[in-house]
Amino acid sequence: MKRLRLDRFSGQLLVARPGQCPASTPRSALRSSAVSRCTAVRHQSSQAAYQIPQDDDYYDGTDHVRFPPLEKLPPRATSLPSPPPERALQSAKLAALKARLSLPEKLPLQTLARALVDASADENAQFNNTSLAFVGQSLINYHVAEWLMCRYPRLPMEILYAAMKGYAGPTSLHQVARSWGVEHAAAPGGEVDPGLLQFSLHKPAKAIIGFGSKRAEAHGMKKYKWRHSVSNRVVFDDDFGEVIDPEAHKTELLARADTEYGNEYTRSLAEQAYATCARAVVGALYAHAGREPAKAFVKAHILSRTLDLSRLFSFKKPTRELSMLCAREDFEPPVARLLSETGRLSRTPVFVVGIFSGADKLGEAAAPSLEHARAKASMNALKSWYLYSPGENVRVPSDVLGAEDDRPWEPAYIDMGEIVGR
Amino acid sequence: MPIKALTQISTGRNGVGAFVLQCKKMDFHYCDWAGSSKGMNGFIKSLLPKFAASHPQVEFSVSPRPSKHPVIIAQYINGREKAICVRNMEPYEILKKAELLRDASGEKLRKVTKPVQSINESVRGVWSPYHGNGLRV
Repeated sequence: MKRLRLDRFSGQLLVARPGQCPASTPRSALRSSAVSRCTAVRHQSSQAAYQIPQDDDYYDGTDHVRFPPLEKLPPRATSLPSPPPERALQSAKLAALKARLSLPEKLPLQTLARALVDASADENAQFNNTSLAFVGQSLINYHVAEWLMCRYPRLPMEILYAAMKGYAGPTSLHQVARSWGVEHAAAPGGEVDPGLLQFSLHKPAKAIIGFGSKRAEAHGMKKYKWRHSVSNRVVFDDDFGEVIDPEAHKTELLARADTEYGNEYTRSLAEQAYATCARAVVGALYAHAGREPAKAFVKAHILSRTLDLSRLFSFKKPTRELSMLCAREDFEPPVARLLSETGRLSRTPVFVVGIFSGADKLGEAAAPSLEHARAKASMNALKSWYLYSPGENVRVPSDVLGAEDDRPWEPAYIDMGEIVGR
Repeated sequence: MPIKALTQISTGRNGVGAFVLQCKKMDFHYCDWAGSSKGMNGFIKSLLPKFAASHPQVEFSVSPRPSKHPVIIAQYINGREKAICVRNMEPYEILKKAELLRDASGEKLRKVTKPVQSINESVRGVWSPYHGNGLRV
């Protein structure tokens, strides 16, 4: 929907590549904010990690003779908010996840580990997945939007937003990440396995991973249900046409996060964290392997899912809308005709009604009352108009960028727009 | 009279687009002393390295379980786990069991009476008594 500005966001991702020493990064940039629990300077590459001096004064009271640590943790690992990048190479879970998703060798395990660290676990933007998720979110939404627009060129904007949310919304991406077998750690920290998704339910992240602007009138829109038009939503709101909610944490719900099995707010936080992780994996793939693998990944994992678009529509006055459509397209005015019926005087009558425009049947439906059957038939006619598709394997603009397809681009079908009521 | 949109979530089918192996972790437990673990110890020494190397998408762990029968426990993406006791089995029998666990989906075993399940719309449509010429009785 929105213009991609990848060059502005993926530049600093490449610091995460192994073998590239961030020596040129100023020391002050490596420091996180003042509230960060990180006490030492943290490095993205494993070579720099050896420079951290040994520090034996940290002792948590564990009897290490009786309970030897299972894995040799690097010094200061327990004091960091997320696992050090060099531990990614030792994690069996992470390697298994990478193989399970068939990610290419170009994508280092350190970056995949970083994609699993949510901003609520580690505030430092050099170590969490915010920037990767921003790239991934832009890519996923771009590919979903171009595919929907080319495949179903007549979708109304509201339905297009709902369809985008159905494919690439947080709930859907949460299910995608779950289906990859991503597990989450009980609590984030430097000592947990880097193959686990890490997020905190106690301090939600304030990281921005999508387009859209905060509205000054958001409170009134929520409380008094102020009207905001679709074109208004296109300009101001996020990629799914939803108002960005600036309201702060729900403190009382957060306080109960540990006392129950979670509540609807903590569940939505977990869902967000999983969705962000799925986006970050796509972003990491783009940063290291390039455009085509990222596109293939989005196609394989997100666009291949099934969504019945005809179930997204909710009409208010279908008969009126259909007659306006016929007037606009210079069809003859629609007429409802009873095609067949049974048991009119019984308890369960069935009427089959067809909507005709001249000699053409636009739609047909069966229902227990004449009125209902006519409305249903109009809805079917409208749906068959809106869900027009040029074909299953319609080309999208990003296909032209691929090297293997040399055919020139044929402009996609563009509809004149949805039916506007008066 | 604007159209309102309803919220729906896309459903994924494993293997449509990408295939993700459902077995995500396998634990192999053995005992150094007991005779019932003899085959398991041979399996771990001879067959497991090759089996593990050929399945990078599964996390493997081998750990002792003294004075207990050897067992393979597999964990699946849907959160369930399956365990098979492999006492007194030969290494190749254990390999068969490991392959069985690897190929399982993690769902409970149930009798499949309809071999094809689909969420796609029927190609032929649903038969309707109100259409066509009907049948004169």
